[in-house]
Amino acid sequence: MLPCIHRGIWRAADHILRTSRGTPPCRFLSTFNGVPVGIADAETIFALSSGHGRCGVAVVRASGPASATALRCMTGLTRKLPPPRTALLRSITDPQSKEVLDRGLVFWFPAPHSFTGEDSVEFHIHGGPAVITAVLQALGSVPGMRPAEAGEFTRRAFQAGKLGLTEVEGLGDLIHAETEAQRRQALRQMSGELGRLYQDWTHKLKRCLAHVEAFIDFSEDELIEDGVLNQVDRSVCDLQAEIVRHLKDERRGERLRSGVQVVIAGATNAGKSSLLNTLCQRPAAIVSPIAGTTRDIVETALDIGGFPVLLSDTAGLRESPDLVEREGVRRARERVEQADLTLVVVDCTDLPSDAQQAAAFLQEHLGRVLPNQEQPETVFPADRFLLVLNKTDMLPEEQRLKLDRELRRVSGLPPVCLISCHTNAGLQDFLTVLHSSVKTLCGDPLSGAPTLTQARHRAHLQQCFAALAQYQRYRDIDLALAAEGVRLALTSLGRITGHVGAEEILDIIFKDFCIGK
Amino acid sequence: MLTKKLPPLQSFLSLVSRRGSHLARQQYDVIVVGGGHAGTEAAAAAARVGAETLLVSQKIQTIGALSCNPSLGGVGKGQLVKEVDALDGLCGRAGDWAGIHFSILNRRKGPAVWGPRAQLDRQRYREFIQSELLSTPRLTVLEGSVEELLVSEPNPEEPGHHIVTGIRLANGSHLISASSVVLTTGTFLSGSLFLGQSMSPGGRIGDAPSSAGLSQTLRERLGLRIGRLRTGTPPRIVKDSVDLSLAHVHPPDSHPTPFSFLNTHTRCKPEEQLPCYLTYTTPGVERVVRESLHLNCHIQQETKGPRYCPSIESRVLRFPGRQHQVWLEPEGVTSDLLYPQGLSMTMPPDVQLRLIREIPAMHRAEIHTPGYGVQYDFVCPTQLSPALQVKSTQGLFLAGQINGTTGYEEAAAQGLWAGVNAARWALSMPPVALSRTESYIGVLIDDLVSRGVTEPYRMFTSRAEFRTSLRPDNADLRLTLKGFEEVGCVSTLRYQEAVRVRDSLQDALAALQALSLSTHNWRKKFPDMRMSEAKSTLLTGMDVLQYNDVSFEMLASAFPECLLPHVEFSQRLKIEAVYRPHCNLQKKEIERIQKEENMSLPQDIDYLSLPVSLSQEVREILDRVRPSTLGAATRLQGITPAAIVHLLNYVRHTGQKERRTHRNQPDRKEREEELCARNAALPQ
Repeated sequence: MLPCIHRGIWRAADHILRTSRGTPPCRFLSTFNGVPVGIADAETIFALSSGHGRCGVAVVRASGPASATALRCMTGLTRKLPPPRTALLRSITDPQSKEVLDRGLVFWFPAPHSFTGEDSVEFHIHGGPAVITAVLQALGSVPGMRPAEAGEFTRRAFQAGKLGLTEVEGLGDLIHAETEAQRRQALRQMSGELGRLYQDWTHKLKRCLAHVEAFIDFSEDELIEDGVLNQVDRSVCDLQAEIVRHLKDERRGERLRSGVQVVIAGATNAGKSSLLNTLCQRPAAIVSPIAGTTRDIVETALDIGGFPVLLSDTAGLRESPDLVEREGVRRARERVEQADLTLVVVDCTDLPSDAQQAAAFLQEHLGRVLPNQEQPETVFPADRFLLVLNKTDMLPEEQRLKLDRELRRVSGLPPVCLISCHTNAGLQDFLTVLHSSVKTLCGDPLSGAPTLTQARHRAHLQQCFAALAQYQRYRDIDLALAAEGVRLALTSLGRITGHVGAEEILDIIFKDFCIGK
Repeated sequence: MLTKKLPPLQSFLSLVSRRGSHLARQQYDVIVVGGGHAGTEAAAAAARVGAETLLVSQKIQTIGALSCNPSLGGVGKGQLVKEVDALDGLCGRAGDWAGIHFSILNRRKGPAVWGPRAQLDRQRYREFIQSELLSTPRLTVLEGSVEELLVSEPNPEEPGHHIVTGIRLANGSHLISASSVVLTTGTFLSGSLFLGQSMSPGGRIGDAPSSAGLSQTLRERLGLRIGRLRTGTPPRIVKDSVDLSLAHVHPPDSHPTPFSFLNTHTRCKPEEQLPCYLTYTTPGVERVVRESLHLNCHIQQETKGPRYCPSIESRVLRFPGRQHQVWLEPEGVTSDLLYPQGLSMTMPPDVQLRLIREIPAMHRAEIHTPGYGVQYDFVCPTQLSPALQVKSTQGLFLAGQINGTTGYEEAAAQGLWAGVNAARWALSMPPVALSRTESYIGVLIDDLVSRGVTEPYRMFTSRAEFRTSLRPDNADLRLTLKGFEEVGCVSTLRYQEAVRVRDSLQDALAALQALSLSTHNWRKKFPDMRMSEAKSTLLTGMDVLQYNDVSFEMLASAFPECLLPHVEFSQRLKIEAVYRPHCNLQKKEIERIQKEENMSLPQDIDYLSLPVSLSQEVREILDRVRPSTLGAATRLQGITPAAIVHLLNYVRHTGQKERRTHRNQPDRKEREEELCARNAALPQ
C-alpha cells in the first residue's frame, strides 16, 4: 500500500550518497568497472580509525568475516576468542614473523553487535607511526583482508541497517565537527534523537492517513463514525503547530553546523581590521592608518567558546568616488544584511564627550550601518548587534569609565563594549559578551528539543507543513485531495528519515477499526 | 448496445456443442481454462487481439455466473470496472445490462474516490456475458474438464524453463494444442467446500470438483510455489420470509450512472430499480457463533481468509459486543431470494437458520441454500511477469483467484490483461505492461507480481498512489487510446468515440483557458461567488471552475457562445479543472517512476553473487522475487535505500556496457561523471 511513501527512501538515499561530505568516490566506482576490487561483503576491511600523526593511543579497526582470524593470529588466542566487547591486554604479533609489534588492548565484537553489523575487531595500540604501520601491514598479510575504502565502515553500517539516514548525516557531522558544541549536536543527531522526533511525527501522520483512508475506502460498507475525521483534524492541527515551533528555531542548528556569520562593520579607520586580527590572533587583514584600506571582505573561521564563528571584516562604510571602494562598500552592506551578528566598530575618540549626545551619535551611526533603510526608527535587536567602541587607549581613563557607566544606562542601544585593540584592554569582557551572543544564536545543543541541523530537513519540513494545509483546505470539499495532502506530508517527512513502511497504513486501519479480522 | 436483443440461451448452447464435436484435431492460438470473470474477459480479449481462442469450462450454463454477491463495482473496484470497460472488456457493459440498483459510493468524498456500484440480476448478467462470447469472432466455447496442462521438456540450456503446448481433457484423453494457455480456475484448484463439520472436494456448491491433475502439473512438473487461501459465501434467504419493514430501506441513485463509456443510460429504468435493505446483528448472533464453534471446522482452519469481507464468525470473534451491518440485497428482478451481505458463514445448516433468526427482520426467515466456506490453491504471484505469464513457463498465463486475489472486478481486470498477453504471445507480438502510474490494473498487477500476497488481495483506492490522476471519469482517456494504438484490444468504434471525447475535452479546456477576466469582472458576472484573490488578478475560466460553488453549466450560461457546445462534458470538465493542478504536481513523480520502471533488471541476473555491495538479506529478497524493473525493486519490503542506489549503478553500468558493444558511446565520460557524483562517498 502507498508505495509512493517509501519512494522517499530512494530519493533521500540518493541525496545523501550524493551530498555527504567525504573523499571523492572514484575507488567505489571501480567496483563497477569490472576491476576485481571488491565484492565488498565477502571481504574483510581494516583501517586506522583514529587520526593520523603522533598520538598516545591509536585505534585500528577491522570488519568482516576474517576479523576473527586476524584477531587469533595476531594475539596468539588460538583456543578461543575473548569475551565479546571486553577489553583484553595482549601482545600483538606479526602473524608471519611472530615478532611482537606492540602491547595493547584488543576488543572482539561478534556480529551483529558491532558498528558495521559484521564481525569486528579493534586494536588499541600505541600511537607512534612505526607501530601503526607495522600493525596495518600485519593485518594486510592476513588472507581475506584489504584496506578499507573511504567511508566503507559507515557504508557497511548503513547497509546493515545499523544507522538511519539522519544518523549517517549526524555521524558525518560528528567526524567533521571542529568545535565542542558542534560535536555535541552531531552526537545527539547520531544517537537518533532528531530521527526519533521525525519518526514520531511520521507515526502520527501515518495514523492520520490510515484513518482518512479507512474513511474513504470503508465508510460506505462498514461502521466508521464521522468522528474519525475530527480526530484527524486535531492531529493535523497539533502537528502543524509542532512543526512551526521546530522551524522557528531561527536556524540555530544549521548555524551551529555551518558556523555563525559574524560581520565587522563600521566607518573607515574605526579599527575593524585590527579587531579581526586581535580576535584571530594573527595578522589576517592588512592594517594601516589610511582610511579605506580594507576593500574586499576578509574572512576567517574562529572557535568562540566551542561555537564555530565565521568572522568577516568589511570595507569601511563611506561615500567614495573610487569605483573599487564603492563596490567594497556595497559588498559590506550586503554582508551585514546576511549576518547573524554584526559587530559595529566605532572609534571612541569620535564620540561627543557628553554621554547623552554620545548615545544619540551612536543611534544615528547604527542607522547608517543598518541595512534596513526603510525603517530608520527600528529598535536594534540586541541579539543581532554589538557596539564595539575601539581605541579606548586614546581616551583618558576617567572619561572611559564615565562613558562606560553612562552608556550602560541608555536604553535602545545594543550591548556596548569598550576595548582597545592596541592594548587588548577590555578584550576579555568583549569576548564574554560575544560568546553569550553566539551561544544564544546557536542554542544549547544538549537541552530542549533537538534542533534542525540541515537545510535539507528544513525544506522538507516546510513542504510537509504546506501539504498539511492542503488537507485542511480540502477537508470538507474533496476528501481525496485532502488525503493527498496528508500523503504528501508523509512523503516529505519520509524524505528526511528514509523509510515509511507500506502495508503499515492498512495494518493501522485494521487494528483501529472493526473491519475484517 | 443495450437495445440489442439477446439470443435465446438454447441456441448458444447448441452452437457451442456443435462446434465442440469438431474439436478433436483442432489447434488454437489461445486456450482459456475457466468461465468466470477472469476467464470470460481473457477469452474475449484474446479474440479481440486477433487470436483463435478456445474457452473451456466445466459447465456451459455457469459461464458468467456470479458465484457470490450479486453486485459489481464499489470503492476501488468501480475504478477497475471502468478500466476494463475502457479496454473494451465485458463486465462494464454487462453491469449496465444486468444492473437493478445503481449508486455511486463516496459521492461526498471527491470524484477521484467515487465508487460506481450496482446490484445485479444474476440471470441477466449471465445472459449478457454468454451472448457476448457467442458473438465474438474467433472465439469457441467448449464444455469439458481439463485433466492436464501439456508442457514441453525443459530446455537443457535453461533448466526449469518449460513451454506450454496445450491441454489434455478428462475422459477421452483428447489433446488440444495451443501456443498460450490462460488458467482462470478460481476456487476450483484443489478446492474443498466446508459446511459445518463436513468437508467435500469442489470449488462451488452444485458443481463437480475439477481434476487433481492440473494442480499436480503446476506443483510438481513446473515446480511452482503454491499457497492456500479460503473464502466463504452467505446463505441465500427466501425473500417472502423476511419482514423487510424491520429493516432500513436503502434506495438507489435516482439517476443510474452506467459503468460503460459507451452507454448513456442503463437497461433498467430509474423507476424500475430495486432497493437494498440494511439491518444489524444482535447479541444473539454472537451467542450462536460461540455455541457452534465446535461444529464449524472452516473457522478453525489456519488458512488465510479475506480480511476485507470476513465471515460473520470472524467478525464477532474479533470485535465482540458490537453491532455489525447486514445488507439484504436483491438477487434479480424475478428472483425470490435475498443475499445477506455480511453473513458469510460455514456452520451446519440448522445452526445457520438459528443464527439468522436472531436478527429481528429475519426472525421467521427461511434459508434457500446454506452458506459455506471454500479453501483453494493459489500460485504465489511473484512467480509471474507483469504480463501475468509464469516466468518459468513460456505461454502459461494465470488470472483471477489463482493469483491470490478476491473479487469479480480484480479477476476481470487480470483476465483481460492475461488474455491480451496470451494472444500477443501466440501471435509473436511483444508483451505489453500497464504501469501503476496510469491505471488501477497496473497497480493491481504490480502489487501482485512484485509484492505477492499473504491474504486474498482486494483493490482499494489507497493502493493507488496516483489516485488523483487515476479517476473513474478519465479511464477512457488513460486506456482506450493506448488499448487501440498499442495493445490492439479495443474496437474501432470505441476508439473513435474516445478520440471524439478527447478532442472535445481539449477544445473545451482551451476555451476555458482562453476566457480571461479580472476578478472584478468575474464578480460582476457571478455576484454570489466567493473570491479571495486581489482585485487586479486576471483569472481564467479554468481557475474559476475550480471554485467549489461554480459549475460548468453556470459558466456556459454566462458565456454561451464559447462554452455551450461543450456542455455535454460538464461534469468531466469540472472534475478536470479541480484536479488538474494536483495532477500536474504529480507528473514529475510519475515521470521519475516511469524512468525507474524503464530500467529493467535482467531476469537471469544472479543476485547471490552479483559483484555489487548488497547485504545477504537483500540478495535473498531480490533472488526470491526477481523484480523486473528497478521501480519494482524499490517497492519491495526489506530493500534498503543503499541497495537501490547500488542496483541503479549496476543497471546503468550494464546498460552502458551493452551500448558500448553496439556502437560507440559518445557520452560515456559524462555518464561516469554522473556516477561519480551519485556515488559521493559516505563520511569516513
